[in-house]
Amino acid sequence: MISQFFILSPRGDVIIRRDYLGNVPKTSTETFFRTSKFYKAGDEAPPIFLVDGVSYLSVKDGGVHLVATTRDNVSPSFVLEFLKRISIIIKDYCGSISEEAIRKNFPLIYELLDELLDYGLPQNTSTEALKTFVLNEPTVVAPPASLKPLFGLSKGPTGVFKSVLDTNRTDGKRRDEIYVDVVERLAVTFNAAGHAISSQIDGSIQVKSYLAGNPPLKIKLNDDLLITRRDGSGYAGGGGYGGGSGFSAGDYAADSSLVILDDVNFHEVADLSAFDTERCISLVPPDGEFALANYRTSHALRLPFRLSIATEADPASDHKALVRLRLWCDVPADKAASGLEVELPLPGHVARVHCEVDAPGSAALAGWEFSDKTHLLRWRFKKVSGGMDLSMRARLTLTKPFGASLRTEVGPVNLKFTIPMFSASRISLKYLQIMRKDRNYNPQRWVRYVTSSNSYTFRT
Amino acid sequence: MADSKYFSTTKKGEIHELKEELASLDRPKKKEAVKKVIAAMTVGKDVSMLFPHVVNCMQTEDLELKKLVYLYLINYAKTQPDLAIMAVNTFVKDSQEPNPLIRALAVRTMGCIRVDKITEYLCDPLQRCLKDDDPYVRKTAAVCVAKLFDINPELVEDRGFLDMLRDMLSDANPMVVANALAALQEIQEISGKEVLQITSHMLFKLLAALNECTEWGQVFILDALVSYQVQDSKDAEKIVERVLPRLQHVNSAVVLSAAKVVLRMMEEVVLRMMEEVRSEELVKAWSKKMGPPLVTLLSAEPEVQYVALRNISLIVQRWPSILANEVKVFFCKYNDPIYVKMEKLEIMIALASERNIDQVLLEFKEYAQEVDVDFVRKAVRAIGRCAVSLEKAAQRCISVLLELIQTKVNYVVQEAVIVIKDIFRRYPNQYESIIGQLCDNLESLDEPEAKASMVWIIGEYADRIDNADELLETFLETFPEETAMVQLQLLTATVKLFLKKPTDSVQRMIQLVLSAATNETDNPDLRDRAYVYWRLLSTDPEAAKDVVLANKPVITDDSSQLEPALLKALMEQISSLASVYHKPADTFVSRQRLAVQTVDTLAAARSFAEEDVAAAAAAPQATGNGAPAAAAAAVSSAPVVDLLGEDLLGDSTPAAAPAAPAATPGGLDDLLGGLDVAPAAAAAPPAAAPAAAAADPFDLLGGMAAAAPAAAAAAPSLPQLLGGEKGKGLTVYGQLQRVGGRVVYQLHVNNGSATSVDGLMLQVNNNSFGLAPADQNVAVGTLAPGARGSAAVPMAYNPAKLAQGPANMKLQVAMRSNQLGVFYWDDNIPLAPLLEEGGTIDGQAFLAAWRGLPQEAMQKLDVTIADVEAAKARLGAVNLFVLAHRPVPGTGQDALYVTGRVFGSTQVLLELRLMRGTPGVDVSFKSERQELAAAVFAVVRSSLT
Repeated sequence: MISQFFILSPRGDVIIRRDYLGNVPKTSTETFFRTSKFYKAGDEAPPIFLVDGVSYLSVKDGGVHLVATTRDNVSPSFVLEFLKRISIIIKDYCGSISEEAIRKNFPLIYELLDELLDYGLPQNTSTEALKTFVLNEPTVVAPPASLKPLFGLSKGPTGVFKSVLDTNRTDGKRRDEIYVDVVERLAVTFNAAGHAISSQIDGSIQVKSYLAGNPPLKIKLNDDLLITRRDGSGYAGGGGYGGGSGFSAGDYAADSSLVILDDVNFHEVADLSAFDTERCISLVPPDGEFALANYRTSHALRLPFRLSIATEADPASDHKALVRLRLWCDVPADKAASGLEVELPLPGHVARVHCEVDAPGSAALAGWEFSDKTHLLRWRFKKVSGGMDLSMRARLTLTKPFGASLRTEVGPVNLKFTIPMFSASRISLKYLQIMRKDRNYNPQRWVRYVTSSNSYTFRT
Repeated sequence: MADSKYFSTTKKGEIHELKEELASLDRPKKKEAVKKVIAAMTVGKDVSMLFPHVVNCMQTEDLELKKLVYLYLINYAKTQPDLAIMAVNTFVKDSQEPNPLIRALAVRTMGCIRVDKITEYLCDPLQRCLKDDDPYVRKTAAVCVAKLFDINPELVEDRGFLDMLRDMLSDANPMVVANALAALQEIQEISGKEVLQITSHMLFKLLAALNECTEWGQVFILDALVSYQVQDSKDAEKIVERVLPRLQHVNSAVVLSAAKVVLRMMEEVVLRMMEEVRSEELVKAWSKKMGPPLVTLLSAEPEVQYVALRNISLIVQRWPSILANEVKVFFCKYNDPIYVKMEKLEIMIALASERNIDQVLLEFKEYAQEVDVDFVRKAVRAIGRCAVSLEKAAQRCISVLLELIQTKVNYVVQEAVIVIKDIFRRYPNQYESIIGQLCDNLESLDEPEAKASMVWIIGEYADRIDNADELLETFLETFPEETAMVQLQLLTATVKLFLKKPTDSVQRMIQLVLSAATNETDNPDLRDRAYVYWRLLSTDPEAAKDVVLANKPVITDDSSQLEPALLKALMEQISSLASVYHKPADTFVSRQRLAVQTVDTLAAARSFAEEDVAAAAAAPQATGNGAPAAAAAAVSSAPVVDLLGEDLLGDSTPAAAPAAPAATPGGLDDLLGGLDVAPAAAAAPPAAAPAAAAADPFDLLGGMAAAAPAAAAAAPSLPQLLGGEKGKGLTVYGQLQRVGGRVVYQLHVNNGSATSVDGLMLQVNNNSFGLAPADQNVAVGTLAPGARGSAAVPMAYNPAKLAQGPANMKLQVAMRSNQLGVFYWDDNIPLAPLLEEGGTIDGQAFLAAWRGLPQEAMQKLDVTIADVEAAKARLGAVNLFVLAHRPVPGTGQDALYVTGRVFGSTQVLLELRLMRGTPGVDVSFKSERQELAAAVFAVVRSSLT
């Protein structure tokens, strides 16, 4: 099982350390940091590596490394999931995870670790249950501006980062709130002709509850939701064998009114008895943040951006070339993408770049930059609303004469963006009910959507 | 209140200040002080000198303070065992507190203090807590049993804690069940004993608890299910039915562990396929259910994806159908981390088929134009590997490669040339039309592998390249500076060119190359090959053509394929680190925590068997294939095959290694014999000879004894195994011997250290004979400083300890002591003590076995036998039994038929032919384990001399 658990600051300082089995030397913290920092040929180190018979498993969050060491043949996903869980618990209790948050709360974190891990074996890891055992007061720390959680989505309209221990407050300052966030990450690849050759959404419904007393909830999703695997196989009947085969999502794809998901998995608190008939999920939300459901789909997505790119020779000089990009934002006009970045790799023989941009006034260009080292040309926009149409021109100065091969050497174009209140899959929450009959009980409910780019690439 | 201030740097006198604060009567002040101590401890400062002061704060009503003190205690108790005793009273008292949190805290902390003296006091509270009314206390106590076992296993057994743990598997609280199970699994791991056997009754209970447990508990249960022995397909079906819904879980560890159970059951069902018709249906249905959840894992964070991908790359090798239609999900995303991209590429190659190759090629082509050089190279290789494995797609792959060559990007061109060479090897005489395009890019080749590949292509197709001589000549200009790989290829290519186009200029070239390769090089491979060519060409150019221009064996792409035995082993370790490293667990799991004391050796054998089941299963297979494989290896390492110029460049290897070359080298032998070629090539000594010398136990012992220091004289003529700095004052002499019909490890220990040493125990690593200590105790009792003691550790056969791979005589030994930690040494296994008394068989059986076994090993021993009867007696003395003795008609020779049984019931068969009074005994050897030949020859020689 897990021999040691430790947390390292971005500079490699130990900020939390627990040794469980005593069979791994103390110097493991340095070994880990050195190995991951100087992994072969400067490549990013994989999350698991073996040094001198000790396996190091790590995840990085909020700039800090959470690391477990072991000498046994453990289940690696078990350890990684557990590390992720620790990081969520720290966020739940301290407001955020960062070096500062951990240093300010270290007795609390040790207290939590006592309950989380005994003799290297994970114990109860529900944020809710841990509250019973914790005596220390949290010092809530907001994450540094550079580490925006949830793709730039702030913690909520209240802008407050708070600890789950807040629900224990009796001083009247307690706020009962619940957040349900539909978070979708888009991975789309367009071919040179501008057709999407692959597109996928990895989505999740994140619940973050600060409701004292944990009242039950009822959430209803779209009626026109179809889950190919679940509805297409005998799963609902309790796992029959291969029943209902021959179902093909393609049969339904033509009917664009349907929201089709390829696969969904649910958190164990979800009561799905009314899901197959009414698309209702009942649950008693535990405190803290958790993923109620994770899903993926590749059907009938609303793709927020289209782009065309052209590379031409400059008639005036054979050592110059012109790249034109045109970008359309296809989301509804009341939605807008924030933090849009357009990234264009250029070949090594481009010496200088000069850019011009045509964009509607509100899509303020935040700037463009070209790096000699990485050969990346990058435009940044603050806000791009639905229906806008942006033109970018880049004049390239070349160190060798223009050749036709330049066209394939420019690109692929990669987009990064976040679109609040937009779901590319069109999945939506029809209602969010808190099942407590009490006139005076009126907690705040926040339902939010956000779609962001995971990998949004136009090939050239 | 911000606690980060505690991390501020230590000032002078801080320790003194802390001492005062810790003694303060003001509780908040006290608490502050303890926090400062903990902070210092975290950053690695030594605050052990505060031990008594911190422990004094322990007796408090303040739970927060108590927890902090306990945290400190766990960290430093080991360095201050005497002071730790001070804490015991408080623990015992706390374990009877009305508050369950305090009871659990006491039991949890006590178990973490790994001091022997505390454990005695731990037993009573633990016994109480295991029966506590509160499940929180019970689950904590369950883990504590595992902690205690690690420190003092006898105590756990004497107090019946193991039985109590087993009872807890039926507890009403799922947390308790999960912890009891985890504790039992842990104890099984530590002790190497089977303490947890899943019966069908227990199976039912575990399956029931599965739905109630936390995600972590589910993983414990699923992993335990894998070891359950199913009776029939019905059984398997029942388990899978309950496990399948787990594939839906959000936690990737639950998904992978569930997948492991289902995969295991698929194997079980396949085993029974013959008897039950339904099996095929089941496998199909289950495969179908596994695909989507595995794909879903790829939506997780890169870390989780990485684990999933490493596992998937195993799964697709064993069950290609599960993901056959899903190649698209493995397409790389622009911003995937490099470690994810590399794994995806590997799986794309595995899943590439004639149906999806167009799509896949398009992707590869994109990747080949990305920025990361390693990734680009791998993408180009991927195209080549698809071409080699998919015949119908080869043409398309080549077009893509040619397009890539047009980009003129240096490393892309080089990589493309390398894979095109492989494609030519795979499809001879089909795609040479592209050679022209390759030749346009000669100047960009600067890496040895690419150069060597290009040179091979030029040589192989010298007759179709008009200016082959000019091209080669340019390469030859830098001949002396090239790496050996390129030089060898240049040599062979020039010879090929000469045989195909024997013009004057080429003749001059070949003379130049041959003289450079024979006179101006230090590389024996190059020189030997050049000499062989030279003689071959000067004696019989026609024969040279037959040899050098012979058809080559066709290659396949097996660079991503694991050996079947390894794959089988890894499939049983899905969702473990072994599946991520693609190495069986016993290659990286050290046994440091292993084995403190094992009374029941059989139990040990069984549980080791479980862990190493893969290794053990693989072993017979490996030995079965051993002979031909070894033969093939020997052939390919001999210069003879190099005549073909087929150094295996790149990832590809001849598919038909054992079969195809077998024909050619046979011919070559004759050829060389007929030509009376100098011994340069033929004198490749039988690989066995040096090994035999090394393995000769007597030689070795002699050498060692001579080298041993004078002090060793005191030891009863045993070689020294451990001493000097490595021994921390301990000197160990020892040797494997045969005493009273058993193999024993005769040990003699001198304690030169300053402390008394006791609790010596022995363990050995996997070895070629399955040797394992029957009792790990080294019975020398307590050795006071300066004292010495002798002990004989009996060794038993344990199939789980059988190492895979070719036999060697190495034995890796670990010995632990209570005081000085663990020592390691390497010893050699002499064969003589392993030959068993009564290891004889009857004549009929001998004959049958002799006929049934493959080609024997032979050696001429340089001994003279005058008296055959005496020789028989001497063989008998080393447990080699003469079954028959008869004269060989017409030769005047005597033939002896001899047999013996080597430890681990390997029968060895020998035929000795000798001429009385004349030097030289021909010994032929046959056995299931052919690789023992060298060692057996050595025993025969020493017994007869």
